[in-house]
Amino acid sequence: MIDLFREISQTLRNNKSRTILTGISVAWGIFMLIVLLGASRGVYNAATESFSADKANTISVYGGNTSMPFKGYKEGRSVDLKLDDSEVIDRNVNENITQVQPLISTQLSKISTTRDYISGEIIGSVPGFFNTQNTEIVYGRFINGLDLKETRKVVVISEKDAAILFDNVADAIGANVKIGDMVFKVVGIYSSNEFRQSIIPLTTARMINGYKNDIYEMSVIFENVSTVEEGEAIEKDVFKALAQKHEFNPDDESALWIWNRFSAYMQMKGGLDILNAAVWVIGLLTMLSGIIGVSNIMFVSVKERTHEIGIRRAIGAKPRSILFQIILESVSITGMFGYIGVFFGMIVTEIINLLFGDTAFISNPTVSLAIALQITVVLVIAGCLAGFFPALRALKIKPVEALRTE
Amino acid sequence: MIKLIDVNKTYPGAVPLHVLKDINIEIKRGELVSIMGASGSGKSTLLNILGILDSYDTGDYYLDGVLIKDLSENRAAELRNRMIGFVFQSFNLISYKNALENVALPLFYQGVSRKRRNALAMEMLERMGLGDRAHHLPGELSGGQKQRVAIARALITNPSIILADEPTGALDSRTSAEVMELLRELNRRQGITIIIVTHDPAVGQATDRIIRIVDGRIVND
Repeated sequence: MIDLFREISQTLRNNKSRTILTGISVAWGIFMLIVLLGASRGVYNAATESFSADKANTISVYGGNTSMPFKGYKEGRSVDLKLDDSEVIDRNVNENITQVQPLISTQLSKISTTRDYISGEIIGSVPGFFNTQNTEIVYGRFINGLDLKETRKVVVISEKDAAILFDNVADAIGANVKIGDMVFKVVGIYSSNEFRQSIIPLTTARMINGYKNDIYEMSVIFENVSTVEEGEAIEKDVFKALAQKHEFNPDDESALWIWNRFSAYMQMKGGLDILNAAVWVIGLLTMLSGIIGVSNIMFVSVKERTHEIGIRRAIGAKPRSILFQIILESVSITGMFGYIGVFFGMIVTEIINLLFGDTAFISNPTVSLAIALQITVVLVIAGCLAGFFPALRALKIKPVEALRTE
Repeated sequence: MIKLIDVNKTYPGAVPLHVLKDINIEIKRGELVSIMGASGSGKSTLLNILGILDSYDTGDYYLDGVLIKDLSENRAAELRNRMIGFVFQSFNLISYKNALENVALPLFYQGVSRKRRNALAMEMLERMGLGDRAHHLPGELSGGQKQRVAIARALITNPSIILADEPTGALDSRTSAEVMELLRELNRRQGITIIIVTHDPAVGQATDRIIRIVDGRIVND
């Protein structure tokens, strides 16, 4: 085997410029493939980071206006979600539903300390709220059951807000802030890029709103769902249950606003899969032109070496050894230059990473080891394909060729 | 060593060409024989058949007791490699391999390790008086040296016969004589069976036995 490689490296060295020119087309093809894959991976990573799968099992429900008359009610009636709506939605509506989180918005918006103040939405929620958000607690804790029970004046704020309100973010835990004319204690700080609300206990928010039963949003959380159809079935069941309670036509789509995060996630995932597939197709087609180049050159090489192959056959080379030699030559060219392409492709993806790696659209646009392995398989197969037909041509060369004078 | 019994060969075509007609030859071990004939006489076809490079239609060909008939490409390659050493008119050395590598090439196809085949090739080149030229490319050698490298390559597998096709055709008369002397010496000293195909009477004269072929028939043995 080593001997065979020695043979091949000798023939390749013997035709340096031809080998290099052919190789460049392969290197270019694989370079394009790597860069495209890297870029699409970047988009993929960015999209999935902002929308992670484990938090996608949520349907958000908001109130709306009816567009159809129903049971004596006229159209155009507004449907407002109430606190007890969350009690209607449970496992009996759909067996996959695990939790329902009501959310109350308050009229308050200003949070101040002696140092500074911030303006932003202040919402009332329940423990488990962060399970559906793309955020996590970095200091302290989230709202707990006791906060709700005792209607405590506690608040969880974002890291960015904490940095404005306090000299030192870590010192904010346990510190007091002023919301409206009430004093709240900061119990937790969360990290987030897109999300910047301050969260207080649901019960406290109700109290601030004068114990009204209105809620702003209801999040229905479910599990064991893997297809868009199942996700939409839950959406329908929730819609039907609320239609019954609020007495509107179950077919009246404008009565409630529903955002099915799961469907959106699946759509996005589907889109990304298509993007990925498209990149492979484009990359492989680019590579195909490289492979055809190699194949072409191998044909020329076989033709040029007819006499030499004849000599080899005359002195005892079996057809098999000739076949192997030509195919291995082709695999060597594609492999060697393929990896040069991979190398430069990786450098370019790293540069893209440095320049755009932190933006919302691209995140870590580099190719993984698994892809490098896939590429290796692609290269070997490509090399075999490129060498196969020229090798068959070489097999047709008879040893009598050796006797022909050049 | 070589036995041809009623061998016939016809090239098919619009006008089939009957190139070899009832050829009967017997060559014993250690003979130095020349096959002579004009071009188109069928001597090249005969050489191809003797060298297992081509097949024949009817008859039998025994080489060292082995019937050479209807062989697969693989078997033919193996027999060529082990039993026959070729010496060609145009040397047929591989231009980008040095003398040593060229001589060692038949052993490569036998699967002999690199170290061993290089040692054997070096030994063979030294016997040909070319030890100091081992690492030269064919392009850097004279015609006579090239042919001696080719003879070394033919001998390396220790074959039953050496088949030489116009071995002096590309050489001047002085080197021709040298090459012929080398072949004669190999025959005399080591008892190697050598068959030379030629149209050069001088070459024929230098052999022990001349087989003349005219229009596909042996006319004089």
